[in-house]
Parts: sequence; C-alpha cells; structure tokens
Amino acid sequence: MVGAGRRKSIAFFIALGAGLISVILLLYIGWVLLNWRSGILLFLGVLLLTMIIGGVVLNTAFLVREIRRNEQHDAFINAVTHELKTPVTAIRLYLETLQTRAVDEAKRKEFYRIMLDESDRLLTTIEQVLRTGRIGAGSRRPGVLPIDLGGVVEECITRARTLNNIRAEALEYHPGPSVTVLGDLDEVRAAIFNLIDNAVKYSGSDIKVSVETANIDGKYVSVRVTDQGAGIPSTELKRIFKRFYRAPGAVATRVKGIGLGLYIVRSVAKRHGGRAWAESQGPGRGSTFVLQLPIAK
Amino acid sequence: MSLVLVVEDEQHLAEGLRFNLEAEGYQVQVVESGEAALELLMSGSQAFDVVILDVMLPGKNGFTVISELRHAGNFVPTLMLTARGHPQDVLKGFTAGADDYLTKPFDLSILIARIRGLLRRHEWMRASLNHESPAAAPPKPKETFTFGDKSVHFDLLELRVRDQTFPLTLMEANVLRFLIEHQGKPVSRKMMLEEVWGLHEDTDTRAIDNFIVRLRRYIEDDPTRPRHLLTIRGLGYRFVASPPAPG
Repeated sequence: MVGAGRRKSIAFFIALGAGLISVILLLYIGWVLLNWRSGILLFLGVLLLTMIIGGVVLNTAFLVREIRRNEQHDAFINAVTHELKTPVTAIRLYLETLQTRAVDEAKRKEFYRIMLDESDRLLTTIEQVLRTGRIGAGSRRPGVLPIDLGGVVEECITRARTLNNIRAEALEYHPGPSVTVLGDLDEVRAAIFNLIDNAVKYSGSDIKVSVETANIDGKYVSVRVTDQGAGIPSTELKRIFKRFYRAPGAVATRVKGIGLGLYIVRSVAKRHGGRAWAESQGPGRGSTFVLQLPIAK
Repeated sequence: MSLVLVVEDEQHLAEGLRFNLEAEGYQVQVVESGEAALELLMSGSQAFDVVILDVMLPGKNGFTVISELRHAGNFVPTLMLTARGHPQDVLKGFTAGADDYLTKPFDLSILIARIRGLLRRHEWMRASLNHESPAAAPPKPKETFTFGDKSVHFDLLELRVRDQTFPLTLMEANVLRFLIEHQGKPVSRKMMLEEVWGLHEDTDTRAIDNFIVRLRRYIEDDPTRPRHLLTIRGLGYRFVASPPAPG
C-alpha cells in the first residue's frame, strides 16, 4: 500500500516535470516566433531556457531518486526489524516453553539446537549491519596482512555446509593454484561467505553450487561461485550490488535477508583493489558471482 | 477440541507455536504461505476455530490474506502476529479485518490468553446465533433439520448425509439456516448479505455463490443438477426440502 502510494507520487513528479518542460518549450517557440529579429536576446533566451529546462529535469530526477531511496530505506528497516525480532521471538518462545512446560529430554535437546541456530542467525544479521558501517565511505583502510585465499574459501564452504545442513556434493569446491592476497582477513572472509551463502539460499530445495578459484594472468585471483538457482534478469545484474537492494520475484521474496550481503562483497572488493560482478543467463537459469582480488606480489 | 491454523513461514516459530498450542489441548495445523492459508480456509474442508496469521509472509502477505478472506465472507477469528508494531501497521491489520493483533516478540501466556479470548467470543457468538429467535421470523427450524436422507445439526455445525458427516463452518451453517428458514421462497443475494453477513449491497456478491457451491457439494447428489438448492436467475436462491421426484 505504501509502495503503491510512493509510485503514485513518483508518477506525479514525473508528470509535473514533463508538464513544465512542455509549457517552457511552448513559451520558447512562441517567443522565438515573435522575436526572431532580436539576435542577442534570442541567444540569451535560448541559454536561459536551456538552463531552466536543465534545472527542471535535474529537480525531477533528484526527487525520483530521493523517493526511491526512501522506499529502499523503509524496506531495509522492515527487513532488519524482521531479521532481528524473529530470532529473538523464537528464542524467547522456546525459553518460556522450557520454563513453563514439562518437556522430555529429546525435545529439550531439539529446543536447545533451535535456540542456538536462531542466535547464530541473529549474530549474522548484527555482523552484516556492523560490517556495513565499518566498510562504508570514509572508513579506515583495510588491514594488509597476507591471506591464504584457498584456506579462507575452504573455511567458508565448511561453515556454509554446516549452517545450511547440506551434503558435500551439493556444495563443491574446485581449488585452483594456491595464492596469497593482501588484505583484511575478516572482510575477505565475509565477502566470500556472503557469495556462497547467497548461492545456497537462492538455490531453493535443489542445491547445486560450485566454488572455484583461478589465477588470472598471475595478477588477479578470482573466486567464482556458480549456482543453478533463481537466476537474475540482465537489468538487475548491476543493481543487486547496491546497498539495501533486494531482488524482486517469487523465489527471491522467499529468501530472508536485509539487502546488505552483495553490497559488502562489492565494497570489500573495491577496498582491496579488486572488483565483483554477477553473470546470469536470466531468471531460472542460475547465476555466477565472481570476486576478483589482486594477488600479493 | 478447537482447531487452530498457524500461518507462519518461520519454521522454528511455527513449531514452537504448535508445541505450545497442542500442550494447551488445541489441534493445530501449520501452513507456510498466504496462498496456502487462503486455499485451505476458502475450501472449507476444515472448520478452523482460530487463525494465527503472520504478516511478513512470502507471496501474499498477512494483510492481503485477511482482507481477501473477509471479502469472500470468511469471518474466522484471526489474530495477527507480526514484528511490525507501528501504530499504522496495527491499524492496517484491524482495518483489513483482523480480530486481534500481537507484536513479536510476545509473551507466551499473553498469546494463549488472547487465543482463549477469541475462542470464547466465537463460542458466545455461536451460542447466541443458535438461541436468538427474532419475533417476526417465520417458523424457525430446530437445532436439527432433516430433509430426505440428510440432516443439518446447527448446534454441532455438522451436516450428515446417510452415514457421512461434513463439518460446517459457522458461516456455511448460517447461510443454510437462512435458506431453510425461507424454504420454498426465493431469497435474493442482497437479502442474504444483509441478513446473514450484516453487510450492505456494495459488497461482492460472488462470496455467496462460493458458499452455495460448497453447500451443494454437501447436500446435492449431483451438484451440477441441484434439486434442493435452486438458482433463481438474476435474483438469488431457493431452498426446497422435498423436491419432486426426478423425471
């Protein structure tokens, strides 16, 4: 409902901008027809009107962008609220259950496991938000320690397998030659884990993810994470790396998240002198995410 | 035993709710999406006494689900359970048709108390509907109405056809009761909306047609060729207890 209201207001500003430009053009043409002899005035008029038109266009673009940003911000707040409150609700519900009801030993153990899972989920959300703050614009440079990239990838794969309870065949690793990169271990680990975790989450029930590392011309190392999941329309390939952005569509809306994972990946890549991008043949045809980092000399 | 439907996509929460509600003596069914909830509730296959509805669901959200339910004439008591606690969200829930609204995280005892409250109100409403007798009303059917080899038990919300028993939702029973009270006479859709639902004519009358389709499935031997629940073209319906023999 709020979204529909906003779209209406965007449409209003676009219509207003277009209307103003039409009126200005009409005035301009009329004015030229009436005063075509006055050369200098004509030149000044053209200049002034061009500036006014430019101003109106800029103003409209600015308003539209601000409204979109507000929308994304609201969606982010809603997602964070959900992702923070849901695990707390579950933990509290199970604690109250254990406190007030007779629960047999097997159930008790299951409840403890659920509470641990939920506290991990809570911690992941908190870490994502804090990390976004740390790597945001104007923050300190990342540390420059040598990192064994293959080791970090393996560590992330093991963690993803355990957290999502998936078999080794469902999440395969094809290691390339051993390489070292210079950077901040915590940031690089977070970026690689985000890529793997995303691939698993957007795969639906049939998880088939492969992770490979490769050396590119001895200058860069790439981590390619390929899934057979939801896929990405070509128009979204760049947008998905924006902060607070969450993919639309039926499959994507079933995946929980707060819209920071890929933003962190791209920011970490940039901070380490590398880059990150996505490739996909389209919706339903899987996708590949690549993180490319410079190799330590 | 009261039947509770939990609409919650967070598996851990849904299972926690199931455990506690079952411990309270309720029968519980869980669905994970708004679409599944709507399908289950609209089909009328089970008569739920209370629905616990999450708002942020994949696909259709809780606000849409409750609004579509109410629009279709399903008034099952519903408690919305959500992380969204802003006054405008709460108001949106009530405007969409929720009976109660509880924000996460919640206190388990408060949730149970609210469910009990909803069930109590449901029982009171059921009791008052079963016992009220408007002075001007035509001969009121008893708690049990028998026609042919079928009998409707309004007090038990059941319809028995030979040795089969179909549970009726409160609204199905009310529609059937209204038609039986006016048996032999045509009853307009508008009249049914006003008398059974207490709504006015701007409401979508297709909701009634859905109820009739469901009722025909129970009481007609061949629902495509109804003999008891007849359509009066352009007006509404007529109930006939003893139709003439076919042929």
